[in-house]
Amino acid sequence: MASIFDKIWKLGPAAFVMKAIVAAFVTNALLLAFILFRRTYRKRYFARRDKRVFELRRNWDALISGEIPYTDWRNKTFDLQIVEEMALDALEASAPEESARLLKFLRNSGLIEKRVCEARQFTGWRRIRALVALGCTRAPEGISALAEGLRDGDIEVRLAALRGLGRMASPQAAEEILAWVAEIGLSVPALPLQNALIQCTAERPQMLLPYIQYAESPLREVLGRVLGEVATPALGLDLLQFAGDEIDELRAAAARGMSHTKIELALDVLTELAHDPIWFVRLRAIVSLGKLLDPRTIPTLLSGLTDANRLVRFRAAEGLVEFKIEMASIFAAVIATRDRYGLHAYLTALENADMRGNLEEELQASAKINENEKDRLRSVLLTGTLPVEDAAITSDVSEHAAALR
Amino acid sequence: MIRILYISNHMLFWYYLVSNLAYLTMLIIAINTSARHQRRLGSHRLSWIKETPLTPPIAVIAPAHNEEGSICVAVRNLLDLDYPQLELIVVNDGSEDCTLAVMQKEFHLRPVRAIYVPEMKSAPVRGLYRSDVDARLLVVDKEAGGSKADAVNAGLNAVTSPYVCIVDSDSVLERDALLRIMIPILENPKRVIAVGGIIRVLNGSEIKDGQLQRVRLPRKSIEVIQVIEYLRAFLIGREAWAQGNMLMIISGAFGVFRSDHVRSVGGYRSRAIGEDFDLVARLHRHMREKGVDYEIQFVPDPMCWTEVPSDLKSLGRQRARWQKGLLDVLWPSRNMLFRVRYGRIGWFALPYLWLFELLAPVVEITGLVTIILAACLGALSGTFFSQFLIFGYAFATVISIGAVLQEEITYKRYNDWQDVVRLLGYCFLEHFPYRQMHMLWRLQGMWEYLRGDHAWKPAKRKGLAAARAH
Repeated sequence: MASIFDKIWKLGPAAFVMKAIVAAFVTNALLLAFILFRRTYRKRYFARRDKRVFELRRNWDALISGEIPYTDWRNKTFDLQIVEEMALDALEASAPEESARLLKFLRNSGLIEKRVCEARQFTGWRRIRALVALGCTRAPEGISALAEGLRDGDIEVRLAALRGLGRMASPQAAEEILAWVAEIGLSVPALPLQNALIQCTAERPQMLLPYIQYAESPLREVLGRVLGEVATPALGLDLLQFAGDEIDELRAAAARGMSHTKIELALDVLTELAHDPIWFVRLRAIVSLGKLLDPRTIPTLLSGLTDANRLVRFRAAEGLVEFKIEMASIFAAVIATRDRYGLHAYLTALENADMRGNLEEELQASAKINENEKDRLRSVLLTGTLPVEDAAITSDVSEHAAALR
Repeated sequence: MIRILYISNHMLFWYYLVSNLAYLTMLIIAINTSARHQRRLGSHRLSWIKETPLTPPIAVIAPAHNEEGSICVAVRNLLDLDYPQLELIVVNDGSEDCTLAVMQKEFHLRPVRAIYVPEMKSAPVRGLYRSDVDARLLVVDKEAGGSKADAVNAGLNAVTSPYVCIVDSDSVLERDALLRIMIPILENPKRVIAVGGIIRVLNGSEIKDGQLQRVRLPRKSIEVIQVIEYLRAFLIGREAWAQGNMLMIISGAFGVFRSDHVRSVGGYRSRAIGEDFDLVARLHRHMREKGVDYEIQFVPDPMCWTEVPSDLKSLGRQRARWQKGLLDVLWPSRNMLFRVRYGRIGWFALPYLWLFELLAPVVEITGLVTIILAACLGALSGTFFSQFLIFGYAFATVISIGAVLQEEITYKRYNDWQDVVRLLGYCFLEHFPYRQMHMLWRLQGMWEYLRGDHAWKPAKRKGLAAARAH
């Protein structure tokens, strides 16, 4: 049997072109007809819909309270879709009282039950639609149906279920997600999972700990990142165990979480993490140290200012500027590092925080610094460049820097 | 002679057939992808992306050169973009007018020594300014570098965010454009290194205070034809190429990149004619040479509206420049062709660009000449000649209508019936004589490049200030 290429070849261009012309013109006509028909249909559909939305909106309170019997609209698919959409949109933007009223309406009218049923029975896009709607309701009875959605073979369904559970923002939803990842592993992109867990574990972050202990990489890193976001002072001791973890993300998470713990506990750990070989661990440690606002963190922040990574330098500078006291001494210490990138980072942070004037005033008023040195510091502040190496001045400045260390 | 003409015509036939089939395949892929994208968006809520603490910061770089009339509106629009952690870096690229002065007055700029690490080559920086009105605004004032690439490099040197979005300061971004363009990155931050958004034609639309009020089709034929071209290029071409991770161009008017990767390839090439295409090609090369798993994505709904040339002369210049840019990138990338190391880029994307983009004007013009010659010499039947022309016309129309269909079933920005009918009408009219003129402009671009004219010449635009008058 001849191949398709042989057939085309034997047909020759002339015969082929005639057929192709016919096919192309028929396609053009069909496309045009489809576009025009679709436009006409949609125009009519939306006109009808707008009219109905207007009518329902006028009777919204009666509809919500149940004065208008649910059966009046529930059996008409067109009305049902509109009412559900309107209720979910209202729920999205409503205050707690109104939310409770809307949720009651969704329950009483059987809309939640219907969506739970659809989420369990349907597959594909219809299941996704049901899961999204359930997530929007934030009704706890939807959690189990959403949890079942997590075990669907289609990743889009799993994502919709995950987002829905995240929307619940409750520990029960977190339990379902954590049980699922412990069972299946990481079967969705990390970010939606982290996002959902951050929302759900914010209330009880300690529920993450057993899962982090027994999870394996890369799930462990993902959970570590979540822990870093939701950690509270109460977790101080638990976070310590991750400070020496072999996974970079977990060390970073510990560093991030330590900013919420007691200074006595955090200081040594964060100082150590600020010298970690991984840049983002150092970055998190420096950011956390900056948040502690304790003078004992200044030496580490100063060393962060000379870090090889520009983000670490910048965050260290921001941390130093945050002190707002002892600015002249800190500035002297910054100069003493003899690191021009560090100096730039500090001046940037200073100017971004609009604190340059404060430093000038403090330099003017300082009694600890002699006049020559003041001139030198002012010159650095003005030019943004390090002074030429001068033994006397350097030792003078270094004394102030040493005092800070 | 007759034999040569016969072979040439035969080759031309197959060239057209393969090129049209390639476009048809792309159309099918694109329609399928768009439909999936629309459904996927159903489970997304942009407000959730906004609320999550995991949304990474973005620095938006907007180069400006002599834009005193529109810069304030543009900056305000960019600052109004819906995104949780945004930094705006406006680069005043040696403007000879009062661009910097009007920004100083409007945004209370004060000189700062912000972080500026000159890792990427650019003309000397005169000063850095931060706004007292909105601390997210940083202005880099530099000497004229003679190219947009040079200005963007200066902006990149001041970036501290992990992602950078390059825009044209005279384009209009929809408010949620950044949130939308970040979706692929948020879904897979380790793998996705760059995302391109869609560019749409602004001409004809109603603008108020730099914000798009109502989308309308332009009045001039030449502008409407460009609307179809943009729909075809973005909604079919880029959508389909991105599906195979072979997207070779992210428009300089709107794209997001991971800053560390842009730095690692040295930023934009200052002397590049098509700097946006050049950057993406170098990113592909870099990632493939490093053997890193990566993705360059395209998202069709974060929209950036830009002004297109409204007269033949400007359009001709623009298209000649694009062709020069294409050659300027493809020639240095020739060693990527058909090499296992560069995978699908070397085996599909680059050969396609060589064959059906770069050489298209040469093949089409030569083909027309040989067909006419063959018809005159009696080597080609008049019937076949006319049939061939009709076939080319009908097939090209299918692709154009397909692009309009894509717009209709997905984003539907043209709501007016009159606009849609006109748009569809132009799908039939664009082929003569616009297509032939287009080929001549592109041929001219190639000729200029081969003669050594490698200068970067910006296109003249009316800008946002003028657009407000619509």
